[in-house]
Amino acid sequence: MPSGRATSLTINRLNKYFGGNHVVKDLSLTVAPGEFLVLLGPSGCGKTTGLRMIAGLEAADSGEILLGDSDVTHVLPKYRDVAMVFQSYALYPHKTVAENIGFPLKVRGIDRATMERAVREAAAQVHMVDYLDRYPRQLSGGQRQRVALARAIIRRPAVFLMDEPLSNLDAKLRGYMRAELKHMQHALGVTTVYVTHDQVEAMTLAHRVAIMDHGVLQQIGTPREVYESPANLFVAGFMGAPPMNFVRGRIEQGRFVGPGVALPVAGEAGPRDAVLGFRPEDARVVAAGAGLFDATVFAAELTGDVTLVTLTLGEDTVAIKMPKEYEADFDSRVAVDFAPARGFLFDAASGARLPAHLVRAGAA
Amino acid sequence: MSIAPRPAVHRRWLEPARIGAMSPLGGIVAYGLLGLWAAFVLFPLYWVVVTSLKLPVDVNTGPYFLPWVDFVPNLHAWRGLLVDDAGPTFRAYLNSIIIAFSSTVLCVLIGSMAAYALARIEYRPRLVSILIFVLALVGACVAVGVAGIDWRVATAVALALFVLLARALGRRFPGAVHNGDILFWIISQRILPPVVTIIPIYMMFQSVRLLDTHLALILAYTVVNLPIVVWLMYDFFTKIPIDLEESAQLDGASRFLIFFDIVLPLARPGLAATTLLVLILAWNEYVLALFLSTSRAQTMPILVAAMNAGEKGILWWTMSVVIIIMILPVILMALILQRFIARGVLLGAVKG
Ligand SMILES: Nc1ncnc2c1ncn2[C@@H]1O[C@H](COP(=O)(O)OP(=O)(O)OP(=O)(O)O)[C@@H](O)[C@H]1O
Ligand SMILES: [Mg+2]
Repeated sequence: MPSGRATSLTINRLNKYFGGNHVVKDLSLTVAPGEFLVLLGPSGCGKTTGLRMIAGLEAADSGEILLGDSDVTHVLPKYRDVAMVFQSYALYPHKTVAENIGFPLKVRGIDRATMERAVREAAAQVHMVDYLDRYPRQLSGGQRQRVALARAIIRRPAVFLMDEPLSNLDAKLRGYMRAELKHMQHALGVTTVYVTHDQVEAMTLAHRVAIMDHGVLQQIGTPREVYESPANLFVAGFMGAPPMNFVRGRIEQGRFVGPGVALPVAGEAGPRDAVLGFRPEDARVVAAGAGLFDATVFAAELTGDVTLVTLTLGEDTVAIKMPKEYEADFDSRVAVDFAPARGFLFDAASGARLPAHLVRAGAA
Repeated sequence: MSIAPRPAVHRRWLEPARIGAMSPLGGIVAYGLLGLWAAFVLFPLYWVVVTSLKLPVDVNTGPYFLPWVDFVPNLHAWRGLLVDDAGPTFRAYLNSIIIAFSSTVLCVLIGSMAAYALARIEYRPRLVSILIFVLALVGACVAVGVAGIDWRVATAVALALFVLLARALGRRFPGAVHNGDILFWIISQRILPPVVTIIPIYMMFQSVRLLDTHLALILAYTVVNLPIVVWLMYDFFTKIPIDLEESAQLDGASRFLIFFDIVLPLARPGLAATTLLVLILAWNEYVLALFLSTSRAQTMPILVAAMNAGEKGILWWTMSVVIIIMILPVILMALILQRFIARGVLLGAVKG
């Protein structure tokens, strides 16, 4: 668990403009000592920019960054005691693996023997001891990535920053490195901010996930919290594969009314435009008339472990995960059923989650 | 539908035998042209070598092309220049080597640092500050030259005025120049040929009593070639992924360490090419050498030119020897440096 060196990271109302482009908007968050925080969001939402501001490679236009108790907002990168694994690995191509890994120590003027020992140790942690004399160009992508990691862990920084370090690896290696990373971070206990746009990576690695969109922090919480209790339409639609299903409609007179849908709602009388959301794995396809609402089968695809059934409902389509034995005829009428507590209601205009929920028919 | 088969002869000559190859006819044409060009370029060299081995009679009754066949080769020209006349030849040779190599080293060092700074640091000096600086400089020069004021006083006053005015007016006129403008300004120094400025340069070195010294030529060549180095190296530096430098920065390296330990090794191909170019320019420079050296600091190009003007007419055989020994160091440097002009140093730095 967290070592004595672990530092907290606090970001306060951070803003960044590129010209007139407001890239990071009022970002505030706190990372506890030793915590693994994943910054998740679609491409171009400002993740890298946020990370670079924490590293000091980009100056913040306003706001403050604290490491522990010290304000580092205006401190040069080399004095911040953060280590970063770049999206591109950024290995020094003219140095061997050993020289790459040892560079942070060489800069600090650490003696040769100590350095060599530290290099071997760091290399062992990423299983790269056999490659110490090679040059980066002689390594595969996954090996380069591990060298970049070793270079970051060789000195115990206050904070690790990692920018999509696994994005270019194949699926198998990515899964392996994910576990490796998680174990290493746990063993070292260093506060970590990890950027990705891959929600599986976020779910599996994070103690907490911070989800960003268009430079705005949407929600921060444990993977379970953001998955099971999304704060708004964006988070709900971003997490999960396939993501949450949405049915557009209105809340009127205590009921959610959509295309072929009329369900009692508690906690909100309306009238207002609303969106009903439910997860593909929470719902089942049942015989017409036997569920919450009826729909038409559009397609059924066997993906391996499940059959993904796509249904049309007015102009909306919804996807439902069924057991792999399930079969359905195209264009047949079926019904969708799920526990009312598994339905989420969002305001259609703002996207915010409504403090309302579905109730069983008759119970209202 | 089938494609009509072409006559076999056509196919054999006009179409490549395999993907990525040239068609036989294309190959013949290309290699023929290249061979012609090579002969065109290499013949003068051959001619110079042959002439250096001829006696005056062979030159005057010539043209003879093949040694031992047309004429009997003789080393008299070599002996005349390197043994009988060794003093002046070797002095000029040594001068050329000292001046060209020193100025090249200086030029590449300063120029690449300037180029790196331009490539990586954003400068935006205010236009009005530059204007005030120039005015203050002119004012100081006039004060010293015309009014006879002590130069120390004039410099101090000009400096103080510059600082005060620049601070006061800087806020009022925020117009600034950017890195691109600075780069263009540096390159524009090369638009005027050095010969245009030769008289001021001459007078400047005269007033500091440096005429006919190595230092004068080294300084002059360095300044003249600096824009070329800045321009070329700027391009090479901007091609180095900035991630590498940012990573080194986070690892705790200072700017100088980053420059010498990361950037320069990666810019080596560019550095080698630039060095070679600047060396050749300095080695062959004539006009500045003509004005700034009279005897002690004379370089090879001056020696060659002087031979042209002898009362005995042009001694082609001696001239050929001079030309040969003059191109040797450049060929040597080209051979040494071309190993570094290989590509691929950046391989493995960043993914993608
Ligand atoms: N140096 C820059 N100058 C101008 N605009 C920039 C600069 N860097 C980033 N941007 C813009 O800022 C926004 C956020 O970029 P950023 O690199 O932070 O995205 P990201 O979330 O890391 O995306 P990705 O997942 O694709 O890496 C983008 O719209 C991008 O175009
Ligand atoms: Mg990014």
